[in-house]
Amino acid sequence: MNGLICKDIMNLRKNAKIFAVLAVIYAVMGFTSEDSSFFSSIFTMVVAILTLSAYSYDEIAKWDIYALTMPISRDDIVRGKYSVMLLLAFLGLVICSLFTIGINAVLRPEHLFSGLKNGLIGAGIVIIFYCIALPFITKLGVEKARFIFFAIYMIPFGLVIFVGKAVKKGDMSIPEELMTFGMRIMRNGFIIFPLLILLALVISYTISVGLYRKKEF
Amino acid sequence: MANTDALEIKGLIKRYKDFTLDKISFTVPSGTIMGFIGENGAGKTTTIKAILDLIKADDGHVSILGYPSDKLPMDVKASIGVVFDGSNLHENLNVNNVGYIMKSIYKNWDTELFSQYVKRFELPQRKIIKEYSRGMKMKLSIAIALSHHSKILILDEATSGLDPIVRDEILDIFLEYIQEEDHTIFLSSHIISDIEKVADYVTFIHKGRIVFSESKDELIYQYGILHCRKEDVSGVDKNYIVGVRENSFGADVMIKRKEEFLKRYRQFPIDRTSIEEIMLFISKGKEML
Repeated sequence: MNGLICKDIMNLRKNAKIFAVLAVIYAVMGFTSEDSSFFSSIFTMVVAILTLSAYSYDEIAKWDIYALTMPISRDDIVRGKYSVMLLLAFLGLVICSLFTIGINAVLRPEHLFSGLKNGLIGAGIVIIFYCIALPFITKLGVEKARFIFFAIYMIPFGLVIFVGKAVKKGDMSIPEELMTFGMRIMRNGFIIFPLLILLALVISYTISVGLYRKKEF
Repeated sequence: MANTDALEIKGLIKRYKDFTLDKISFTVPSGTIMGFIGENGAGKTTTIKAILDLIKADDGHVSILGYPSDKLPMDVKASIGVVFDGSNLHENLNVNNVGYIMKSIYKNWDTELFSQYVKRFELPQRKIIKEYSRGMKMKLSIAIALSHHSKILILDEATSGLDPIVRDEILDIFLEYIQEEDHTIFLSSHIISDIEKVADYVTFIHKGRIVFSESKDELIYQYGILHCRKEDVSGVDKNYIVGVRENSFGADVMIKRKEEFLKRYRQFPIDRTSIEEIMLFISKGKEML
């Protein structure tokens, strides 16, 4: 599996320059607006998009059919891709955190570590997104699964906007119990969300492995 | 591995909507080169995919180096070298990147041997694979297949689309590889001259079925061409006839069991034939019967 991760990293290296430029642009925007949250929330997701590129490169090269003739199991291939996804989410988180600390050190040294949770939330969203998307990519391939990504992005956004508007207009009210429940979850978010992410990862990985074992080339 | 079969396929069936691999059975003895021939779409690649467990067969059994192909231990899998029609390598990598990746994948990877092949094949180390010619890409794939001390090479159209000089060079490498008595090559190709040059055995697949799987010398010995008048064809026992080609001067008839035929029909002279001719007569000649 190390070989597979190594192969993805080598393939993705050529994007490093583009991402360095993007990081500088976002950093300048962060400094000028004296706000690190924009950088934190966007950059983790931008880095994580590389997971899709890793799948694309393999698909273009028809790598999987070749890799499966090597001492690599089908499970290894799925495990390799989930590892790369997590590594990229982690990389994004590290870059965001360093930037946040950097901007805080210049603008408000007394709150050096404030805003770090934005990066964590970004990484969490990225992982949840891929937990939903990866089984589809495993089944359909990255090209055919594109419409699924659109749905994964748009449905939650659409729902939030729809509910938000309806609540504002007064057409809809959120039940008191639901609000209390939601608040309780938010208060314990640092325990609940990592557990949810872990659960999502286990379910997603199990589905992907099941699909890939049956895949024909 | 001496005196055993490196590859054994028994009753392999794979059904698609418009094509069926129909009870494929043949064996490749260890230490030999088996040429796997057939026209495009005959089922060569499907058979290879089934051998490598890349598709699930509906029925039948495949074993490689004595192990069922769907339950190969990793160390056995590591001793199989595979080359497909394309390079299957990422185009933005260079030779050094590929070597590094393969070293991480194969426990038995031989970096020194890989470097030797890279030098011998004159593969540019700084260029990325995208800038390689087709011949270079195939040589790189072959270098990879040879650099982890493979016991068996499985090659799917590895020489197609290459110019005759590169093809000849690659065939020489195969002949060199087979010098080790436990090395085996299974080589699919529709370029029959390549098979005639290197193969010990030939398996011919036609429309998803195996027509024959025999030693090359035996094939040449058993088959022959009868040149006769068109009206003479009807006088020949059909059990000897593989195919007939008619032309303005008469008829060419591909005969099997040549020795037996000559004893029975002493009046007909029989010419030597080639694997290419046998394949053409079987593929195209039968309908004329």
